[in-house]
Amino acid sequence: MSKDLRITNNKFIDQTTRISFKFDGKTLYGFKGDTLASALLANNIHLVGRSFKYHRPRGIMACGSEEPNAIVQVGSDASMTEPNTRVTEIELYEGLEATSQNCWPSVNFDIGAINNFFSPLIPAAFYYKTFMWPANFWKLYEYFIRKSAGLGKSPTKPDKDIYDHRYLHCDVLVVGGGISGIMAAKTAAKNNLNTVLIDDKINLGGTTLFQQNECFKINNTYSNEWLKKEIESLNSLKNLTIKTRTSLAAYHSYNYLLARENLTDHLDINEKKDKVRQRLWKIRAKKVIISTGAMERPLIFNNNDRPGIMLSSSIKKYIDYYGVKCGQKISLFTNNDSAYETAISLNNSGVNVNSVIDIRDKTNSIIVKQAEELGIKIHWKSSIVNTNGYKKINSIEIMKLTDDGAAVVGEKIKEQCDCLGISGGWTPRVHLFTQSGGKLKFRDEDNVFLPDKSELDQISIGSCNGDFELDDVIKNSVTLTNKFLNVDNNDYENLEIISSKETTKKNIWLLPSDKLLSKAKQFLDFQNDSTANDIKLALREGFKSIEHVKRYTTTGMATDQGKLSNMHALGIIAETAGVKMGELGTTTFRPPYTPLTFGAIVGRNVGEFFDITRKTPIHDWHVENKAEFENVGQWKRAWYYPKKNESMHDAVQRESKAARDSAGMLDASTLGKIDIQGTDASEFLNRVYTNAWSKLEIGKCRYGLMLNEDGMVYDDGVTTRLGENHYIMTTTTGGAANVLSKLEDYLQTEWPELDVYLTSVTDQFATISICGPNSKKILTKVIPDLDLSDKEFPHMSFKNASINNIKCRVMRISFTGEHSYEINIQSSFGKSVWEKCFEAGKEFNITPYGTETMHLLRAEKGFIITGQDTDGTMTPVDLQMDWIISKKKYDFIGKRSLYRSDTIRDDRKQLVGLITEDPKEVLEEGAQIVSEINKKPVEMLGHVTSSYFSPNLNKSIALAVVKNGKNLKGHKMFVPMKNKTINVTITDSVFLDKDNKRLNA
Amino acid sequence: MFLINCPYCGERDQSEFTAGGEAHIVRPKQPTELSDDQWAEFLFMRKNIKGIQFERWSHAHGCRKWFNMVRDTSNDKIHAVYKMGEKPPIK
Amino acid sequence: MLNYNSPIKDQKEYSEIKISEVEPTLKLNLRGKKRDFITKIGKELSIIPPSDPNTSSGNEKFNILWLSPDEWLLYSNDKIDLKNTTLLEEKLFNEVSKSKIGSIANVTDHWIMLNVNGKNTFDLLSTGCPFNFNNFKNSKNAVTQTLINHIDVILHNKDLNNLNLFVRRSFSNHLWSWLNDSSRFF
Repeated sequence: MSKDLRITNNKFIDQTTRISFKFDGKTLYGFKGDTLASALLANNIHLVGRSFKYHRPRGIMACGSEEPNAIVQVGSDASMTEPNTRVTEIELYEGLEATSQNCWPSVNFDIGAINNFFSPLIPAAFYYKTFMWPANFWKLYEYFIRKSAGLGKSPTKPDKDIYDHRYLHCDVLVVGGGISGIMAAKTAAKNNLNTVLIDDKINLGGTTLFQQNECFKINNTYSNEWLKKEIESLNSLKNLTIKTRTSLAAYHSYNYLLARENLTDHLDINEKKDKVRQRLWKIRAKKVIISTGAMERPLIFNNNDRPGIMLSSSIKKYIDYYGVKCGQKISLFTNNDSAYETAISLNNSGVNVNSVIDIRDKTNSIIVKQAEELGIKIHWKSSIVNTNGYKKINSIEIMKLTDDGAAVVGEKIKEQCDCLGISGGWTPRVHLFTQSGGKLKFRDEDNVFLPDKSELDQISIGSCNGDFELDDVIKNSVTLTNKFLNVDNNDYENLEIISSKETTKKNIWLLPSDKLLSKAKQFLDFQNDSTANDIKLALREGFKSIEHVKRYTTTGMATDQGKLSNMHALGIIAETAGVKMGELGTTTFRPPYTPLTFGAIVGRNVGEFFDITRKTPIHDWHVENKAEFENVGQWKRAWYYPKKNESMHDAVQRESKAARDSAGMLDASTLGKIDIQGTDASEFLNRVYTNAWSKLEIGKCRYGLMLNEDGMVYDDGVTTRLGENHYIMTTTTGGAANVLSKLEDYLQTEWPELDVYLTSVTDQFATISICGPNSKKILTKVIPDLDLSDKEFPHMSFKNASINNIKCRVMRISFTGEHSYEINIQSSFGKSVWEKCFEAGKEFNITPYGTETMHLLRAEKGFIITGQDTDGTMTPVDLQMDWIISKKKYDFIGKRSLYRSDTIRDDRKQLVGLITEDPKEVLEEGAQIVSEINKKPVEMLGHVTSSYFSPNLNKSIALAVVKNGKNLKGHKMFVPMKNKTINVTITDSVFLDKDNKRLNA
Repeated sequence: MFLINCPYCGERDQSEFTAGGEAHIVRPKQPTELSDDQWAEFLFMRKNIKGIQFERWSHAHGCRKWFNMVRDTSNDKIHAVYKMGEKPPIK
Repeated sequence: MLNYNSPIKDQKEYSEIKISEVEPTLKLNLRGKKRDFITKIGKELSIIPPSDPNTSSGNEKFNILWLSPDEWLLYSNDKIDLKNTTLLEEKLFNEVSKSKIGSIANVTDHWIMLNVNGKNTFDLLSTGCPFNFNNFKNSKNAVTQTLINHIDVILHNKDLNNLNLFVRRSFSNHLWSWLNDSSRFF
């Protein structure tokens, strides 16, 4: 650390605690309280990176989130490294490692810098124009461009850090803890409003925190001392929550805001462990007060991008807050009064100020007078026409401006310096206001966009609302806050405020130089290297919309989103195009205001919490018995149960054979179950299903098909009549929630006259399906007192029963074509009953099977699975299920659509069976079906929807949808695959037991 | 993320709701009497207005009730919510 | 004998947070629009189903939570003997559903009841729940249905920083893990 760059009498930095860190491999030291930026500057390091296009050396320019140049890679760990981090926002901690980005092999010697000498060859949109042709070469170009651009490295391993989310509801959210935000938060909290104040810095106070200047006093004390007491008084307010190190990322409609709190980034590496690194606050505020302040603008002049050229107010913060001198011989260049505050601060800290170059003719505000009294030299009506020094500025060239400011005249004065502060005035931070949908207005007098109209309950106060002087800030903030909160707070009524007033204003967006414009390098977007020339070129090439100019020149599109220089780009466009800035408008400010880590966005939803998982009551048994699981919607379903060394194919073949040869059992608990009660329950079912329900006897079950109004199959399942006015409907696993919602929709909106109540009871019951020729014998063992004779308990009927005194419902229904039963018992006993059935079935080799075998067994019978064999474009007629459409019913959902001109076409795709010529050949699901192989282009007639090798038929079977398939039975078709063509024949979709003998076997 | 005032439960976060498209499209009582074109009008045609739009919403993760909403689609401002069967409070 | 098997069977304690499964408890879903329905339930249980949104009524045995203008959740305060659950269900079913004034569905195992208590209860919920608890937490017997980490829940405010949470059984393991994971950070 260069001792002579630190001043010692500093309040904010703990100079007794030394911290070591590494920058570009070199060990350096700073103090507790430093940012990486202030520590680097104290070590006399300005050069920290290279620009994107020309690889020009770039240094630290600012002290906050607007920093365009000084972005680094933090850390080197493959899972924790973070690119594109601004050094101005990194708090120094023991063990910090940072490296420069966008330079190779090193920041001091960068091969890409050769681009700088070729820069006339790299105008705006150079990459677009050059590398986009021929189009298929892009792959080649991209590799080299990306390599040389080197925009930081993404971590290659999963992030080990912990992130979380928190919802927060408050009456008032104050964004920004500067002087106006502090006063507003205090006012709100004192008036019993639940208030939250957030600020992205380590401590509250904004720039007033270190404003100790005779020209800015409140009640006869320095403004910083007055504010310090105000901040202290906040501690006693119960209604106030203060969150520092918290930056607002996004402001959405309905006062919904996202803020990112940094919790551990400032801690030493060993203290970070097992703590939440960042928390994303999801804030819903009744009222929002934006007090985000303003950003200093740079000035746009020739070679304005050298390391050592910094914002004037940042130089002030480094000296007044961090106690760091940004140079020993500092020059300042300005168009307004604020640079004089910097000059005075530097002077008071013993830093030599060469001169202030001011483009204005002359001004006599208090602060300028104070500077003059201190002996600071001022070049009035002058501009800097050039700067020198490659890796750091070493001199500037000054000339007089003409009266109209369009050119420079007279003698060129050269001034030696090691740092140049620039100030082009102030830009209110209206980003959040516009993100929230607010409209801006333009104030001509000092060229600022200000908040105008908003639909939301919010206000902007302080300098983000265009008040730049202390007395205006305080008076207007108080008035606006009181009115906005509808309170009468007189704490700030009789403040005596001294504030220097700016009396003269002058602005030149693009400062002239003695060089031709085309030869000069006036940088606008420092990170993306776009210059005033690029903007002018874009306008010459015919771009008019600012959104287009932005994208063409990439101005404002870097990671800093052009916070510093967007205004100048607009100014230059307006000037060149001859329109008013207010009419031109701004580009759209989009969230996030500052970049968010993916970790903060994702929060805890990583690993096992990536998505919700649902488990059946029998889940643990499947795990204990080594099932493989399949995700069905959010459910974890047993897929198949491999025995030792068994492949999936082998397991499924074994399970399928066992289910037909003797007995199989399936956990069907995931099926949706809806309890239907009410005097109109039967009528309701008549309206929602395609078939008739009125005559279904109590104790009987019926399969139903549900359509959308467009006639397409939506869901299916078996519904059982439990009582006169009581049914239980089952839905598909994936469709459960949607079906219930759809049925509620019809009941509430179309048929409110129906007396029907729906209650989801999906999780109330475990559903155990036992199928196969021995299923009856097994069930008799499990429920001995139940009469299972075909006469008493035929197919498609239901019985109440009990197992060890626990009641259950038993349905004799089948999705496999086998004689089978479904036991529905309350979930708490599901696993126990499953185990009981398994025990009872052991002598019959009962085989638990998973979803894959279930799919295979039903395909053998040609039963559809909605969502697999249907895709929202299949009518029941397309499925060749005409039998399920009631001809007698006047109406049901989707009925009218079944005879629209489109749905009655013969050549619609229809569900058919496919048999392969080679019975061993199993088709791929999704494979296309054609009738010719040599024709190009060939018409795709349909595709395979389900395909299996059937162990029970010992051949490959498939279901498919084929254009006009109904009339093509027996026809040969082709399934062209990558390496071969498979010959198939269209068949009936029922492959096994066409006359349903097995159901009663 | 909207804040929606469910007519039954009060103000809730938008994530508790699902949207159900344009409101006040009555399902024809006698669909069989309609021509293909008339049925298509009911089935497919929606206004999709930029500006004030009448919409159906359901408090899916709350009381499961459907209700209507008047929303300005140009700025997402919700002007009113009202129960099914009630007349829109504004035109 | 069949073995009773609830999904969680656990309780955990963290800094100012205790979470536990409270099962078996009886739960019935009650639905009805008619005045007769309210009267009948009131007569059978000596509790009137509340008509005010987001509220509950109860006595030493049962609570009735408002779910919607025509839907309520009845649950028992104490753990129950499962064999008795069907008695009350059948009685109410006869009085309500068979009398054509509403619907009664047993949801004893559809919902799993968790108890969450301790000073950090609402901070824990706020890690994944968009609901505004500012008024709720001070209103004893308040009820809300909302989402926690995208999972539907019913919350019943029993006492200061003490609430019962109902979650569908199939989601309960996931929510339980998630609540435990989030509790680590308090």
